[in-house]
Amino acid sequence: MVMSATTDGGQRTLRRDGSFGYVAPGLLLIVFFFVVPVLMLLMRSVLEPAPGLQNYVELLGSTTYLRVFMNTFIVAGLVTVVSVLIGYPVAWLLAIMPDRWSRLVLAIIILSMWTNLLARTYAWMVLLQRTGVINKTLLSLGIIDKPLSLVNNLVGVTIGMTYIMLPFVILPLIGVLKSIDPAILRAAALCGANKRQCFARVLLPLSLPGLAAGALMVFVMSLGYYVTPALLGGTSNMMLAELVAQFVQSLVNWGMGGAAALVLLIVTLVLYAIQLKFFNPNRAR
Amino acid sequence: MKKHTIIALFAIAFGFAGQANAADMVFTSWGGTTQDAQKEYADSFTENTKINVVQDGPTDYGKLKAMIESGNVTWDVVDVEGDYAVQAGKAGLLEKLDFTIIDKSKLDPRFVTDYSVGSFYYSFVVGCNKDAVDTCPKTWADLFDTTKFPGKRTFYKWSAPGVIEAALLADGVPAEKLYPLDLDRAFKKLDTIKADIIWWDSGAQSQQLLASAEAPYGSFWNGRLTALALTGVTAETSWANNITAADSLVVPKGTKNKEAAMKFIAHATSAESQTNFAAATGYAPINLDSPALMDPDTRNSLPDKKAEGQVNADMNYWAEHRDEIGKRWYAWQAK
Repeated sequence: MVMSATTDGGQRTLRRDGSFGYVAPGLLLIVFFFVVPVLMLLMRSVLEPAPGLQNYVELLGSTTYLRVFMNTFIVAGLVTVVSVLIGYPVAWLLAIMPDRWSRLVLAIIILSMWTNLLARTYAWMVLLQRTGVINKTLLSLGIIDKPLSLVNNLVGVTIGMTYIMLPFVILPLIGVLKSIDPAILRAAALCGANKRQCFARVLLPLSLPGLAAGALMVFVMSLGYYVTPALLGGTSNMMLAELVAQFVQSLVNWGMGGAAALVLLIVTLVLYAIQLKFFNPNRAR
Repeated sequence: MKKHTIIALFAIAFGFAGQANAADMVFTSWGGTTQDAQKEYADSFTENTKINVVQDGPTDYGKLKAMIESGNVTWDVVDVEGDYAVQAGKAGLLEKLDFTIIDKSKLDPRFVTDYSVGSFYYSFVVGCNKDAVDTCPKTWADLFDTTKFPGKRTFYKWSAPGVIEAALLADGVPAEKLYPLDLDRAFKKLDTIKADIIWWDSGAQSQQLLASAEAPYGSFWNGRLTALALTGVTAETSWANNITAADSLVVPKGTKNKEAAMKFIAHATSAESQTNFAAATGYAPINLDSPALMDPDTRNSLPDKKAEGQVNADMNYWAEHRDEIGKRWYAWQAK
């Protein structure tokens, strides 16, 4: 997961004498159980079936696999946009609500995060399918005359993943929105800004760091998502993680699996670097 | 210094964990109603031998390969697809079976290799939810006919014997001329219904799709339809040109419980175990003595009694072309 972990406070603690020891167990754990195995898998991408770059040539030279890359970006982009459009007003509402109420709403949002991912995804399947609750209700109300295709396609993936990603937009936004002094908005209004101007020229720019952090986190998490696209999408919107799973589990072709995984990792790291460079909330503040 | 202490601690922890499991063995299968039935013979095995059988799953060929390569094999007996068993045996991933412990004279010779014996065998059949539609498709050709049978239909998502054969049969290829598979022709036929296919990736999902009429018909493992019918869903099975394939039991190379694994396979393939399993699942037994032990009604509902027009998927052909077909299959799906 990508989070801006290197806050100023963190760096100070690291520099303080002797405290590095407390970080060591965690770091060792990550090195032994994450970094080393990942490196081993990635090595296979250039060693199997024979040393060389043939896996990458095949991966990047095939229109099928390029389509999977495109799908991955389209889905991640779509989910990010929809999450931001829905999440921003919710975060704003939470920021200006009385504390007692906002805590309750926040609890509901977080509770949904704690529910098992598979259970939530299956629930969407039941809701969205042709014979599901949503279609049946719309049919009986006479709004539609034949069931809408809401699942096993891009629509299903977008709905299911947006639902899962929403908290990751809302939570960082609340913090930033709360830190904006309401007096600034009042001042803008007094100076003659209408509601739209207040939002576009005052609130939005001030909340941009939180928005960017949330949006980028959603985008990056979506890139590597597996369960929800696999269950709610059709094979024609296959994403990268599914391709990796096919190579590793079904075709047992670890060279290709490693190559696909490395491409995904590089894209993620590049995006993370962009975030650090341009949208680091600590620097912007 | 700290690093060494931590490594030592882990070594001790894992060492103990290993010892604690020494008296057990692990059996891995595909979950769902099928593994529930396999658990029955695992339980009677424990009763007879005092060897505890831990159930794990689902079978995952990537995980299996990782265990064997790292030398840390935690699965002792694994239920795999027949074509995979043949391929993995040739690739050196499996232990040779000990036929002094397993009596192969009683086992269906079609599924016996040096490295594997049958686990059970099943058919891909045309299934239909009778309550959801006026008429049910009866043949593979019907299932591929979107004019006579409009709407969604469901097929097995993974590359495995079954769907390619069904497409070719639907396109008019005679059963005895299926192999070698004409992949171009099969994919062309599949193209005609691609937009109407919902894929199922597990037996449970296939049941859900049929029961909810999300896909009122499709290609199913026969046992899953039998199980569904028992829950009150009016699931109709058409056996026309049913396509059989088998699961196999294998022992991963480097298992620490080799003898227990062999004994377990001997027990799992015994006439009695196979009889009970077949009665519970609707899949056919691979022990040649089992049919005589079954009551006639159950007996007649099993795949091996549906021999008329039956097509046996060619496991050897698949073992040889598994990777090639798989690659094309997934590339076609993603298109």
